Amino acid sequence: MDHIEKRVLTSKKPSIANDELKFLSSIQNSIAMGSWEINLQEMDLKWSDMTKKIHEVSSDYKPDFEEAIHFFPEGKYRNRLLEVFDRAVNLGENYDVELQLKSAKNNIKWVRSIGYPIFENNKCIKVHGVFQDITDRTNRIADILLKEKQINSTWHHSPNGMAIIGLDAKLKSANKSLCQFLEYTENELIGLNFSHLTYHEDKEVATAQVLEMIEGTRDHFEAEKRYISKTGKLVPCLVNVTMLRDNNNVPMHFIANLTNISKIKKAEQDIKNLLDTTESQNLRLLNFAHIVSHNLRSHSGNLQMLLDLVQDEIPESTDNDYFPLINEAVNNLSETIFNLNEISNINTRVNNDIASLNLLHFAEKAISNNRAKILETNAVIVLDIDKSIEVLAIPAYLDSILLNFVTNAIKYRQPNVALLIKLKAQKTDEHVQLDIEDNGLGINLNLHKDKLFGLYKTFHKHDDARGLGLFITKNQIDAIGAKVTVTSTVNEGTTFSLFFRYE
Amino acid sequence: MKALHFHYFLDMNKINLTCIIDDDPIFIFAAKRILKVSNFCNNFTIFNDGEEAINKLKPIIESGDNVPDIILLDLNMPIMDGWQFLDEFIKMKTTKQIALYIVSSSIDPVDLEKAKTYETVTDFIIKPLSKAKLEKITADFR
Repeated sequence: MDHIEKRVLTSKKPSIANDELKFLSSIQNSIAMGSWEINLQEMDLKWSDMTKKIHEVSSDYKPDFEEAIHFFPEGKYRNRLLEVFDRAVNLGENYDVELQLKSAKNNIKWVRSIGYPIFENNKCIKVHGVFQDITDRTNRIADILLKEKQINSTWHHSPNGMAIIGLDAKLKSANKSLCQFLEYTENELIGLNFSHLTYHEDKEVATAQVLEMIEGTRDHFEAEKRYISKTGKLVPCLVNVTMLRDNNNVPMHFIANLTNISKIKKAEQDIKNLLDTTESQNLRLLNFAHIVSHNLRSHSGNLQMLLDLVQDEIPESTDNDYFPLINEAVNNLSETIFNLNEISNINTRVNNDIASLNLLHFAEKAISNNRAKILETNAVIVLDIDKSIEVLAIPAYLDSILLNFVTNAIKYRQPNVALLIKLKAQKTDEHVQLDIEDNGLGINLNLHKDKLFGLYKTFHKHDDARGLGLFITKNQIDAIGAKVTVTSTVNEGTTFSLFFRYE
Repeated sequence: MKALHFHYFLDMNKINLTCIIDDDPIFIFAAKRILKVSNFCNNFTIFNDGEEAINKLKPIIESGDNVPDIILLDLNMPIMDGWQFLDEFIKMKTTKQIALYIVSSSIDPVDLEKAKTYETVTDFIIKPLSKAKLEKITADFR
């Protein structure tokens, strides 16, 4: 500050009327600005009401210089104030500094302190000035700086490629990730036309959207686009473009956010390849099963025909221990092949045979098909199925599934216990659950759980137990997209829970 | 498949000529014996695949002499299979009604459904052939 100004300030020494004081005071209040004055001869310090308010001291507080200095935390801010004050007194320099202050109530505030020294006969007799609370403003600036830092750090370290693109489609800025996956340096990218980086087939992908954004009818768009790296690699990206506009809503530039989806695309392709392989293997397996069972069938059929003929034509040749055994072996072979064929057929059934079927109707049919056995064993059947419930299934399979569970429940009853079979259905959000509960022999699930639905597994010493029913049933359940679970206690009973899909 | 009505055979109780089209010698041997044992027909002719059957049946059907009453047709055969035989056979103009039975080891529902699309096919017999199955054909025939 030079001397001229000093004098000007000095010459403006105020002589203020009362009204004016009030006016000034009200201004001080509204802009949170106070005044202060220190007479250097008596070291007499005066604070205006607003200044006191900023310090959070009572209005009758009598400030003194030492105390006033102590409102500024020791170190950087206090030293700064002492320095500028010293220069004001000794060199006549005005000052205007922003400092941190700790109020009487221990609140940290930011204040702006402006001081003007007043000289008389080349000697500083007084310093006065204004004192403003700028906490809010400073905090706001600090917030903005922090946000800018965050944005900057996001920009630089984001795994996504980001670019600012001018309305002329030229790149203005690019972040590290974008440079990395496009294999350019930022300097090489800047000024480059963005369409130069786009794979030629994808150049027109979002032209319409870009125009709409410039016109202002759209504020962002997302698209899948492929780009070409510096070394000519194809980089598939998910690109999200937004438009930045100034305060008058005039378009300034585009902000593009590119996610490199090469890995996802590759994984997608890998999955697709795997699926194709699986499908073709499945098909070959089915063909194989079909051919094997068909060819085996023609041989076992021949064997059966020949055995029938021998029996008819050379009866004496059958009168030995071997013939009945050979006959039985051939019959078993034929049956096994027939069953294998059934299973391979289940897996070739097509989905469009699946229909929405009335569960109660099919359950009643399964029971009526077992009527003779039910009468014979005095079994009690409880049907708790709402007549409105429908499930998705192939009719023949639903028949076979229900029939098999009911037949099994009868077959594996406890000899001295009155048989009770309960069929209970309930509809949940995801499926129709049908519980088929019996009080029969039960299955030792600790031993058999893993092979319960396996082929040719039996768990009971029963003449009819062939270990095929549950295997076929499970295949049929899988084929209609249903699920089955089982709980069982030996000598108490078994509950099979079926989970059907429904429309 | 359509029901058979052989009005002009009503007075005859026995099938005269049966034609077996099959490539499996064991099946042919056994089938011949069963036909004989069950006194199914008076005579039979054997063709070892579809092509041979077509080539030899064509002049027979055209001449109208010795036309078979019954054809037992296998599906899986080399050169010309049962389906290809059928496609050729339906093009021939016959004055005499011939009852054609598919006799196959196949229990594939696809084959059964396909057989139903041929009006010429009377029924689908699943191998092995037995006296009981022949008796059913005889009953149909009468």
